[in-house]
Amino acid sequence: MTNAQMSARVGLFFILGVALIWVTFEALTSGQVRRDRGYRLIAHFTNLKELKAGDEVRMAGVKVGTIAETRLASRQAEAVLLINPKVQIAQDSVATIAMAGLLGANYVSLDMGTVGSGFLQPENQIRTVDTPDLNAIVSQIGEIGKKIDGALSQFTGALNGGGKDGPGLLSKLDKLVDENSARIGQITSDLRDITNKVNTGQGTLGKLVNDTAAYDSLVAALGDIRGAATDAKTFITNTQGIIDQVKSGKGTLGTLIYDEEAARNIKVVSNNLRILSEKLTTGEGTLGKLINDDSLFKEAQGVMRKVDRAVDGLSDQGPITAVGVVAGALF
Amino acid sequence: MKRITALLEALGSALLLAGKAFVSLPAAPRILKRVSEQGYLVGYTTLPIVAILCFFIGAVLALQAGITLRDFGAKQLIGTLVGESMARELGPVMVAILLAGRVGSAVTAELASMKVSGEIDALVTMNIPPARLLVLPRLLAVLLVMPLLTMMGNIIGWFGGAIVSAQVKMIGVPTEMYFQNLKQYLSVGDVMDGLIKAEIFGFVIMLIACTTGLRTRGGPREIGFAVTKSVVYSLIAILTLDYFITKALS
Repeated sequence: MTNAQMSARVGLFFILGVALIWVTFEALTSGQVRRDRGYRLIAHFTNLKELKAGDEVRMAGVKVGTIAETRLASRQAEAVLLINPKVQIAQDSVATIAMAGLLGANYVSLDMGTVGSGFLQPENQIRTVDTPDLNAIVSQIGEIGKKIDGALSQFTGALNGGGKDGPGLLSKLDKLVDENSARIGQITSDLRDITNKVNTGQGTLGKLVNDTAAYDSLVAALGDIRGAATDAKTFITNTQGIIDQVKSGKGTLGTLIYDEEAARNIKVVSNNLRILSEKLTTGEGTLGKLINDDSLFKEAQGVMRKVDRAVDGLSDQGPITAVGVVAGALF
Repeated sequence: MKRITALLEALGSALLLAGKAFVSLPAAPRILKRVSEQGYLVGYTTLPIVAILCFFIGAVLALQAGITLRDFGAKQLIGTLVGESMARELGPVMVAILLAGRVGSAVTAELASMKVSGEIDALVTMNIPPARLLVLPRLLAVLLVMPLLTMMGNIIGWFGGAIVSAQVKMIGVPTEMYFQNLKQYLSVGDVMDGLIKAEIFGFVIMLIACTTGLRTRGGPREIGFAVTKSVVYSLIAILTLDYFITKALS
């Protein structure tokens, strides 16, 4: 092998080695060895959890960028998102840290935002929402478990007793049963008798339970009630119609209530009646005098007396001429 | 006590030799041809055995870990396991062991032979420092080549693991998922740690080989002893340093 061949092989080896190192670094840094392609958005979070540079940024599950950098910024964690220049992010889009698996792989999830809200520009800050940490959830579950445990302990203590509260519920119940066993037996026996009677159809309850006549009566009563309800409905409908007519000013009642002309007429009539009544009371006019002055009555009485006498005279004198009768009556 | 004195003497000789070599660093442009020759020996001729070893290391790692991870329902993590293991530990260590066995022994044998046959003394007589002519090219070559060789070993090991993960039915992790998982958890820092480790291993192996060779005294029989000693010292140094470097880098 010549010296040139050996040098060529060393050169080949060197280039191959450098290329492999480059490719590996490129793959592991998600292309960050190259110049950044895309625009940067800033996302503030309370806690970045397992998020690290190189993790994915996804929108609706589709990769739209990567995490370029994570850093602390004024008491908050800050993630710099490197977004694909072909993708535009709505201004009201919200970023959350999502878990890709239970083993700690995280990515930033962006929602679509609303149409027409405009788009975020490079170096803008994107809105974020902190999602509960798995540790926090587990911690909360632990606290809930402790509370349940405490509640169960109290419940068990209350049942069993033995502490400063004296005997437990079960002990008290046991004592109560022991002391009243005879009464409980009697009550049980009575209950058995009652149920037997009910089963055999004795008494009101037994008949109600066993006799079908009660059921039939009940059904008939329900039918009657249903009919009454129908009538009531019809009555209400008719009443409603009358009220509607009255309200619309139709008919006598409607006119009386709603017609202003009729009201004025009634007012005039009422006024006239009042005047008439006053005149009658004070004895003005013919009718007033007729009511208040008894001279006319006396005169009429005298006339009637004269007529009576005349009639009597006529029956005594026999047939007379018509002129003679009229003259006799008048004079 | 005698052994300890000998060990300290060897350590001191090695450090002095490294110092002498790097003092001659300005003369590096004049020894580029020798660097190239050593690069060929250390890198190009070692690559096939490194490829075979790392491929099967990766494959066995995937096979062993895959079956265990499957029992735990976490076989999708096999990419991470093989990737991290190869990049941080097995790649650098395996390449270093191969280098100690193949290149370190050859260098020790060559220098010991030159020492025994008086060539080194002749160089000194001609005022040509052996550290500049024989040691510096080898150290520069190993420093240049070791990261490249280790990276190749890593990648070949990753592919060995990927093939086993995809082809062995008991594991059945698709290649795409394997590399996605590897990429997700393996960082540049992990790979860099492995390459730094490999660089230190390569330097130490070559220094031990050169020191042992140049310190050889006696006849042909001592050449054999020197080679054995060089390889054994190198292996001990690799495994000891591995612990401390890992601790320092973690």
